Amino acid sequence: MAFRPRRALAVFWKDFLDLRKNVGLLVSMAVLPTVMVLVPIGVVWSYVRTPNHADLRSVALFYDPTLPLGASAARFLIDKTLTDWFGMFLVMPVFVPILVASQSVAGEKERRTLEPLLASPVTAAELVTGKSLAALVPAVAITWVAFVFFCVGVDIVAWPLVKMPLMPDALWTFGVFVIAPLFAFFGNGVAVLISARVSEARMAQQLAALVVLPIVGMVGGQVAGFLKAGLGYYALQGAVVLVLDAILLWASIRLLDRERLVSRWG
Amino acid sequence: MSGILVEGLGKRFGERTAVEGLTFHVRPGEVFGLLGPNGAGKTTTVRMLTGLLRPSEGEASVWGHRVDRDGEALRKVVGLLTEQPGLYDRLTARENLRFFMKLHELDEAQAWPRAMHYLERFGLGGREAEPVGGFSKGMRQKLAIVRTLVHDPRVIFLDEPTSGLDPESARTVRDSVAELASEGRTIVLCSHNLAEVERLCERVAVVKRRLLAMGPVKELRRAGHALDVRVEGEAERFRNVLVSLPFAPNVLAEGARLRVMLADEAHAPEVVACLVGAGARVHSAVPAQRPLEEVYLELLREGRG
Repeated sequence: MAFRPRRALAVFWKDFLDLRKNVGLLVSMAVLPTVMVLVPIGVVWSYVRTPNHADLRSVALFYDPTLPLGASAARFLIDKTLTDWFGMFLVMPVFVPILVASQSVAGEKERRTLEPLLASPVTAAELVTGKSLAALVPAVAITWVAFVFFCVGVDIVAWPLVKMPLMPDALWTFGVFVIAPLFAFFGNGVAVLISARVSEARMAQQLAALVVLPIVGMVGGQVAGFLKAGLGYYALQGAVVLVLDAILLWASIRLLDRERLVSRWG
Repeated sequence: MSGILVEGLGKRFGERTAVEGLTFHVRPGEVFGLLGPNGAGKTTTVRMLTGLLRPSEGEASVWGHRVDRDGEALRKVVGLLTEQPGLYDRLTARENLRFFMKLHELDEAQAWPRAMHYLERFGLGGREAEPVGGFSKGMRQKLAIVRTLVHDPRVIFLDEPTSGLDPESARTVRDSVAELASEGRTIVLCSHNLAEVERLCERVAVVKRRLLAMGPVKELRRAGHALDVRVEGEAERFRNVLVSLPFAPNVLAEGARLRVMLADEAHAPEVVACLVGAGARVHSAVPAQRPLEEVYLELLREGRG
């Protein structure tokens, strides 16, 4: 069976159109980026507002006992916040495709639209591609747009202290343009896989959303001082996720087999 | 080979057998009824014939495409109306149809006039820009039928096509089915509406996991070798004349109608001659027909045993 991009694009077109008209889902998708952008800006602003607060130095020394006496604790904590927050930022490209893909695959079963769709010439690979694109494009676009707001916001609030633009730096630029799409693919793959097994979009969302827990856990480890984040650390995460992506893609195409989907309707 | 060819088709889901040993052939231009109670295997059969399920046994080809190996080519020539309309509520009628045109890789400029023809025919003309979520049950059903036809399929499977439709719309659908068949398309109709099946189908198959009966509707409805004779006046007057015949041991009279149970239908001319000889004015004499519903229920009772 030949892969026909036109049919995959048809699935993408339909899902994207459906997404644009789903106000509830759009609102859900907008909440996370708003939080992801405003929280670190608020934290940076709090450091900039009271840069000489004595407690800041205590906190900075907790993370780096070798911090020189003359160094600004506020600046150190701003840099630390920005590096660690990237781990949290990765929740967004994972979570948004989960919201979209759960709706688009399990939602097809729930609305009884899957049988007419499967009775068309579209192949499993085209279906997975189209549905994945419909989840990935908004996820990556939202991540990139949020990144722009994040950079502008951080630079504005940090300017009074650092007098130079902090963002975008190399870690964030590499992370947002290379690692974030890999994480988005991962979130999408998990959601497609789970959606193919369960019959309700909500259940698929709830189960798939559990994959953000390890990410949050790692950020927790960074904040607690157990893990030290940096470009190499995030690149390693990206490499692991890349392998997982390949496995998920293979499994998704297998699981979106017509026979399996149709016979599991119950 | 065009049409549908089914030979010993069966499907098992684990230990459970959904369908076994189905054999039938549907010609191009024929409307074929697939009857059976809920859970009889009709949907499974249709899913196998549309390439959604792989048969566990037997062979089938639809318009020359083997169902077990030519899935993609098969689905290009097949139209499937499922029991549920299965439309995208947030999308407009036009967007729903466009999606399926794209999936079939149709040139939309060419496909739209056909879609518009059916939209107009089913009373949906001018509603194509409205979201389907606001459509009534009947409108959704009609739109689903248009979607089934949008790629000009050669073989059409219709599951309860008039479900939820008002009498006028149901009639339009029936007329369309007859018209589509007259264009040489093969149509398989799954329905519990036996009056509709009687009206539309030349032949039917009654299934309950396996094939219970198949044949032309008229033949299935024939009540053995019985003959229905309509005479002028009270038929009761002629009952005794017929009972005396050795080949017509059982005769029922009701109003102007006589139902004569014959040992062999070859005796029909003798029955008429006997009645005329006894002074009856015979208006008609036709093989007795039972309602399809009666035949269907009897087959299911027998099938249960």
